[in-house]
Amino acid sequence: MSKNASIQQKMMKVIMLTSGIVLFMTCAAFFVYEYITARHLLKRQILTLGEIVATNSTAALAFDSHEDAVEILNALRAERNIKAAALYDENGELFAKYPSNISPFFLPKHPGRLGYYYNDIFLEGFHSVVQNNTRLGTLFLRSDLQTIYQRFLLYGILATLFIIISFIFSWFISRRLQKSVSKPILELADTAKVVSDEKNYSVRATKHSEDEVGALTDAFNHMLTRIEIQNAEITGLNQNLEIKVRDRTHQLENAFDALKKQTELTEKILDSSVDLIAVFDTNLCYVTVNKHAEQTYNIKREELTGRYIEDVFPQTRNSGMIDDLRKAVNGEFVRHVDYLSGVTKRHYENFYIPLKDKDGKVYRVLTIAHDITDIMEANEKLQTLNTELEKSNRELEQFAYVASHDLQEPLRKIQTFSELGERNINNEEIVRRYLGKVSSSAQRMTELIKAVLNYSRLSKAENEFVAVDLNTIIQSIMVDLELLIQEKQAVIRHNRLPVIYGIPLQLHQLFINLITNSLKFNERVPVIDITSREVHGREIEGEEAIVKDRSYVQITFTDNGIGFDQKFADKVFSIFQRLHSDKTIAGTGIGLAICKKIVENHQGVISVRSEVKKGTTFFIYLPMLHIRSDQLTNTSSTNTHAF
Amino acid sequence: MRRAWFPVTFLLLYMTQNLQAQRATEYQVKAAFILNFSKFVEWPGDAFARQSDIFILGVLGKDPFGDYLDEIVEGEKIEGKKLIIQRYNSVDDIHDCQILFINVPEETGAVIKRLKGRSILTVSDDADFSRAGGIIQFYKQDDAIRLQINPDAAKEANLTLSSKLLRIAKIDESDIPDE
Repeated sequence: MSKNASIQQKMMKVIMLTSGIVLFMTCAAFFVYEYITARHLLKRQILTLGEIVATNSTAALAFDSHEDAVEILNALRAERNIKAAALYDENGELFAKYPSNISPFFLPKHPGRLGYYYNDIFLEGFHSVVQNNTRLGTLFLRSDLQTIYQRFLLYGILATLFIIISFIFSWFISRRLQKSVSKPILELADTAKVVSDEKNYSVRATKHSEDEVGALTDAFNHMLTRIEIQNAEITGLNQNLEIKVRDRTHQLENAFDALKKQTELTEKILDSSVDLIAVFDTNLCYVTVNKHAEQTYNIKREELTGRYIEDVFPQTRNSGMIDDLRKAVNGEFVRHVDYLSGVTKRHYENFYIPLKDKDGKVYRVLTIAHDITDIMEANEKLQTLNTELEKSNRELEQFAYVASHDLQEPLRKIQTFSELGERNINNEEIVRRYLGKVSSSAQRMTELIKAVLNYSRLSKAENEFVAVDLNTIIQSIMVDLELLIQEKQAVIRHNRLPVIYGIPLQLHQLFINLITNSLKFNERVPVIDITSREVHGREIEGEEAIVKDRSYVQITFTDNGIGFDQKFADKVFSIFQRLHSDKTIAGTGIGLAICKKIVENHQGVISVRSEVKKGTTFFIYLPMLHIRSDQLTNTSSTNTHAF
Repeated sequence: MRRAWFPVTFLLLYMTQNLQAQRATEYQVKAAFILNFSKFVEWPGDAFARQSDIFILGVLGKDPFGDYLDEIVEGEKIEGKKLIIQRYNSVDDIHDCQILFINVPEETGAVIKRLKGRSILTVSDDADFSRAGGIIQFYKQDDAIRLQINPDAAKEANLTLSSKLLRIAKIDESDIPDE
């Protein structure tokens, strides 16, 4: 049965199928009965016939009368269904056959079991021929089943006709009858369709009877009424709900807008900050960073998020920043004033602020790094200036002291000899002698003032640094001092000296002062050796001004002069410090002070080692500059700072 | 050894019997016919008055059957009665007898006369036997043994012959002697 067929069709099918099966079963039962009966009947008929023939044929068998036997068998012609018959004598030999022309081949050779049996196409069997209880022979009969078949054919035709006619009748009757059941149901279904298609709950189904369908109709109508009422209620509730939802949505939207604006403002503030701002979780993984941090690190916010700080910046491993972050994770507010970043190589003032949830537990660390590199640099500059100022102040004090002391001496001499001359004005010779003394004192005073001016000029570092070949400097000095060298028969030796950055005039003065000193303070034939080698800042000990990771040129200046006690080593470089009386050796006492000043101007160091009567060795360290053409006119800055 | 011989013995026996059957002599057939007569004839009750449990088959005169009758009768019973062969030399010897084969060619008429009124089925090879008042007479036709019956004689002997027997026999309306 099709699932889509209407109930009407289904009922029809049920009725037709039921009646069809009943009819078929009935016919089949009759057919089986008829089959059994027909076979039984046929068997009975052939049994009777056999009895008659057997009884009649006793004499023929008993007295060997073949003709009589044939005659009796031929009487079977009347029975059309008998297809073959035979008589066997008491020894079981074939005695007579019917029809006479049948081949013995088609007959049993000897009699078999008594009785009649059906095989595929025949009913056949043996019948004993008995006279007065004596078996005289055997009769064989063979009947075809034509009669049965004919009966069956007839019966089949009748049954078919019967079934067809019954079917037609039942079809007409059921068509009429099923309407009484299906019609109200179909009407109900139509009404339900109207309800579901048009959503019209106001229609009602018509009730036809008081049976189950009638009850169903009532229930359906009742349901529709309930739906109508509930619909009205739901519509009312829905409207209320819609208004509420709209209001609430509006509120939420407003709140959301406000929140969004707030968030945007916060983000804008963070992104506008010139400080580096980063937020970490408790595992020191990045949560977010501000725009400035993105630009500084040249990395996108999204690439950082969720990654461990040391994985992103391996430079931070074992750094102070990790320690500070860990402290903050443990709830401590950390301020790190000068942090040199391994990443940006700049100086920062870092703040590590633990962010706590409502239970007071740290869940984020806010890191703010304020770049203080510029301040630091300015500070440094200020400090340098300060130092210089202090130094110059000290020098000035020293200068004032020295000036007041040393310059007073020739002045006092002039004063004394002037007074003495005045007193002996009449003694021309004494006056002349005293005037000579005054003159030489004035001369010395001039020299002193000249030297002081010279020294003070060195303090003004306005000369530019250029590449200076020290060999050239020495050569030119030897030319300048040619006469003195020849007079003293001095020997000046030097190896190949480097080219350094410096002020040529000052370097010239440095070496001329040293050589002059060596020639002057010598009682023997002067021998001067100048050698140079490159040393690393680390190898030079006991000098504060030396930068450790810088290369220097060490110039060793050795003479065989009068020397001095090593305990005066520090004093020789002070201004107006004279170790020897000017009676034997001329000097202003300012030469080595100038040398020291020049070396300091070149960020170098000078020291001395001396022994009385043996000689003096000066060690001069000047910064070694590997000169490139583009650097010839520039000095590099000292320190570079980084975060 | 005995088992091995059994099929051979059986085969020999079968062949012998078959041989005998094929060579069934005239009297062998006649002996069988005589025995069969008892099945198609009804004797009146008083025919067995004296000895009710035996059925006597008699031969009067020279016995042409040899052993055949004895063989055929061996173990046979007619309506519960034991079958006995009796050979008579004279009519006078005949007391109780149901079937009598008469082989006294010269005296046939006299014998018939003597037996008149007695319920004895008389049988003979003699030509004209039935016409002479005998009941069943054998005769030969196409090498087959045929019967000629005198129903009136049977009636006179108070014997009822089956119609089936009459149907296969030649019926003879005999001249029954006056006496």
